[in-house]
Amino acid sequence: MRRRLVGLVALAMLVAACTAGGDTNAPVETIDPNAQHDPLTLTVWSNFSGREGKITTGVLESVKQKYPWMTVKHVQGKDDEAIQRAINGGTPPDVAISFTPDNAARYCDTRAWQDLNPNLQADNIDKNATWPAAIFSYTQYNNIQCALPMLTDAYGLYYNVDLLQKAGFSEPPKTLSEMTTMAKKLTEYNADGSIKVAGFMPLFGMYQNTVNTLGHAYAAQWYDSSLKPTLSTDPNWTKMLQWQKSIVDTIGYDKLQKFFGKLGGGDSEWSAQHGFETGKIAMMIDGEWRNAFIAADKSKVNYQTAPFPVDDAQPDLYGAGQVGGTIMGIPKGVKHAAESWLLVKYMTTDTSALVTLAKGLRNVPSTVESLKDPELNADQHFSTFMKIFQHPKSTFKPITTIGVTDQDLFGSLAEKHQAGKVSDLQTELSKLDDQITKQLQLG
Amino acid sequence: MATVTVRPPAAPEKARVAERRRRKRRSAWRRQLVALAFMSPWIIGFTAFYVYPILSSLYFSFTKYDILTQPVWVGFDNYTFMFTSDGRFWTAVRNTAWVVAVIVPLQILVGIGAATVLTRVRRGLGFYRTVFFLPTMVPLVAAALGFVFLLNPGGPVNAVLGFLHLPEPLWFRDPAWAKPGLALMAMWMVGQTMIIFLAALLDVPTQLYEAADIEGASPLQRFRHVTLPMISPVIFFAVVIGVINGFRYFTEAYVVSKAGDWDNPVGTPQDSLLFYSSHLYNSGFEGFHMGYAAALSWVMFVVIMVCTLVLIRSSRRWVHYQGGFR
Amino acid sequence: MSAATVVTRRPVPPAIRRRRMLLAVANHSVAIALSIMFLLPFAFIVSTALMTNQQMGSLSIWPSPFKWSNFTDLFGFFPFWRYAWNSLLYAGLGTIGVVLSGIPVAYALSRLRWRGRQVSFVLVLSTLMLPVQVTIVPLYIIFVRLGWIGSLKPLIVPLFFGDAFTIFLLRQFFMTIPQELSDAARVDGANDLQILLRVIVPLAKPAIAAVALFNFLYCWNDFFSPLLYAGNNPDTWTLAISLQQLTQLSRGILANLQMAASILFTLPVIVIFFFAQKVFVEGVTLTGVKG
Repeated sequence: MRRRLVGLVALAMLVAACTAGGDTNAPVETIDPNAQHDPLTLTVWSNFSGREGKITTGVLESVKQKYPWMTVKHVQGKDDEAIQRAINGGTPPDVAISFTPDNAARYCDTRAWQDLNPNLQADNIDKNATWPAAIFSYTQYNNIQCALPMLTDAYGLYYNVDLLQKAGFSEPPKTLSEMTTMAKKLTEYNADGSIKVAGFMPLFGMYQNTVNTLGHAYAAQWYDSSLKPTLSTDPNWTKMLQWQKSIVDTIGYDKLQKFFGKLGGGDSEWSAQHGFETGKIAMMIDGEWRNAFIAADKSKVNYQTAPFPVDDAQPDLYGAGQVGGTIMGIPKGVKHAAESWLLVKYMTTDTSALVTLAKGLRNVPSTVESLKDPELNADQHFSTFMKIFQHPKSTFKPITTIGVTDQDLFGSLAEKHQAGKVSDLQTELSKLDDQITKQLQLG
Repeated sequence: MATVTVRPPAAPEKARVAERRRRKRRSAWRRQLVALAFMSPWIIGFTAFYVYPILSSLYFSFTKYDILTQPVWVGFDNYTFMFTSDGRFWTAVRNTAWVVAVIVPLQILVGIGAATVLTRVRRGLGFYRTVFFLPTMVPLVAAALGFVFLLNPGGPVNAVLGFLHLPEPLWFRDPAWAKPGLALMAMWMVGQTMIIFLAALLDVPTQLYEAADIEGASPLQRFRHVTLPMISPVIFFAVVIGVINGFRYFTEAYVVSKAGDWDNPVGTPQDSLLFYSSHLYNSGFEGFHMGYAAALSWVMFVVIMVCTLVLIRSSRRWVHYQGGFR
Repeated sequence: MSAATVVTRRPVPPAIRRRRMLLAVANHSVAIALSIMFLLPFAFIVSTALMTNQQMGSLSIWPSPFKWSNFTDLFGFFPFWRYAWNSLLYAGLGTIGVVLSGIPVAYALSRLRWRGRQVSFVLVLSTLMLPVQVTIVPLYIIFVRLGWIGSLKPLIVPLFFGDAFTIFLLRQFFMTIPQELSDAARVDGANDLQILLRVIVPLAKPAIAAVALFNFLYCWNDFFSPLLYAGNNPDTWTLAISLQQLTQLSRGILANLQMAASILFTLPVIVIFFFAQKVFVEGVTLTGVKG
């Protein structure tokens, strides 16, 4: 009986080992785009939906004007997991679009998305002249360029002009200490002590407050050059956490939580009940897309945008912000890699396509050329973010093969800290560094 | 016992006896085939969906595998990481243990309590039974969303608490109160357990109660010495089912964690709702560490086997069966 | 039981009558209090489902006006009927599968004598105890290879190969059917298949109904497996997933619409429950008491 059991185990393991599999890389092929070509339909998968999906489809289909033989089928509602599983299953889309550049490192490392460097070289595209430096922080890993940006995001400060003027402020804050003072003054309370208007919503886990977006204000470093985590060794992280906690404590942790709950919690972020849009939050950090939502929601808030305030000790940081956004790539195993490249090249470098897309989605255009568009620059609310994107100190968080895991772990600690449950921050940070290191080793 | 004398069969009888024995063997063999034929769907299913996955899961647990590339043999690395470096593993274990140790007894207690109340009412039994059972009908996802809304820090429950001048916890936004929030939801859904206990309570022979009354037993003594032993098989059943469900606890936690913001990692707030299944799902299907997920699943398998064995062994001591055999 | 004497009822003294009434009142009050606690969440959910967006944040308990359009608005937000159809497909086909595969297996385990019967039953029970997470990793990989990910096939097909709970319940019930009935049929020349179909199944209708009902509900409410196998393809989402994913749409859905969606999702279940109450309760009792 035992012998039979051992044999069964061995057999099952053998079968398992044989049925798992991957395959080889194909060499880069190029074709002459101007030559005659049979009609071809390329499928593009993205996680767009609704209004944004329609706009993207329109621009994707406009490629027909350049290559009349190319028809594009845009399949929406496919997140990173879905795309990954399709690649695993051997039936990938011809072009993939992702909203999570954190995963790009893994895509590059496993070659799930193909290296586009040969394609760029074959077409004589100078990477550094075409794109601002910031994009390389989230589209390449270990010199593999497996993705290119298709529009981008930038984070900055939104502030309610009326509320600021009422409290006697004519200028938005430029340093974080100014921010703290203003946040305190701008917060109004109800008779029962609960918050009526919040000067600033500092809580992690609310809207776009993350260790990344706020950490950028201190230029805090995640990793050193050998990819060792520096959360405990870079003092800027501690400074950022302490600054954030000081605002939380000043306004009141419990009160902020209840206030957020009353707004409708996380659901309100994408609805017309958004705290800032309804005038209940005076200042907040958000991406450039908020402009489009304010317009679509027909919010009456009188607002302005500016770069987010920075560390008093690093004034040259002002004007920069976290950037990064939608990426596009060619999955492994596609049947028409050369044609896929033509579509990717169009969507990531063609100025008119990018400008049309940017105007429709209200995201920041990603190439140097498209950033010069006069109409986009004329929109004051929006041009702030274009400038932020081009600032030399703007960057995305460094990407690693563990994707968002490091962010999740750190986010957890940050939330514990803001609630006052962390007694020894330094020790916790080094434990976190340790865990991230081990997670990176596990792969 | 009467004695039977057996005469040795005469020669032609020997052939007949042999023939009868052969026929019996053939019919036994046919019976076996028929039974196996009837069992075939399950046999195929069991092999394909249980035996094979468990064994190959063992294989994968020793590899690093993300489906895209070939599995890479890493020996015990996954297990080493799990037990020494993965803080979330121990958090998940603690949280799951909390469910098993807190929610299961709570549900049983509330179930017995509610059932007892039902045994006392004469009129309207059907109505009450329906009302108590109704929450179980609500799909878990809907119930979870409902409770997220109810336990919103600015929501109805806190409004009532505030009105009564009681402290208003932050429920699902506070790691210390998130699990109690789930416990509330579990208690709201005791309907199924309660029905089983109701049937069991009604099954207790009244003579025993009468005998106890004659002996002058107090209600508490009656409960301890008559009711409890009589319903102990059902308690055992509820405990086993409760423990198993505790280990696979997933849906409520997933929905609640992601309710605030879909980017929230499973387990928000601060991993307080990170249960074992959630950690497994996260590692394998959001982190694509299939090998690690397989290792986690094997550890889960072993623990469940051990727990079930312990439960069954211990049951011999405190479970009392009226009649019949196991 | 002793016989003949006619028992005359003594008039109950008022003290005892009062005590009995007080006890009854006390019991009823507890029952009513419990009922209120069980029904309150429902009340809140229903009232929220009818609120406007503005009322959501306020403390009001009573919606005014009643925004019935929340329910109809839902259909505009997402393809409710497609998801309901997917849920129906999964639950319906799944139930047929477990019943078709469970009956013969339960028969073999309860009314046939064969070698390995006891062991098989223990194995069936053991799979009851196994949470699905233990087997999902390799199963998922198999389904990837088969190309079934993103469809309902990984959910439905395994159910045609036996479900432990169904088999267990049916087996328990089959065991209560007297052996004489089978014997009589066998004497009449029926083979096992005919016995099963003509004798056992008709007698087991209540158990089969209970099992079908349980399975239908389980599939209707199932969240984890559909999330895993069909979660990446919105076309194959079931109602359970869509309800949760509703909270993740990029145009945020406020709680009032979420509650309305929850109600729509729960309604079929409650309707079925009211019509099949008896089957339910009997079925649940069957599992627990007979052990």
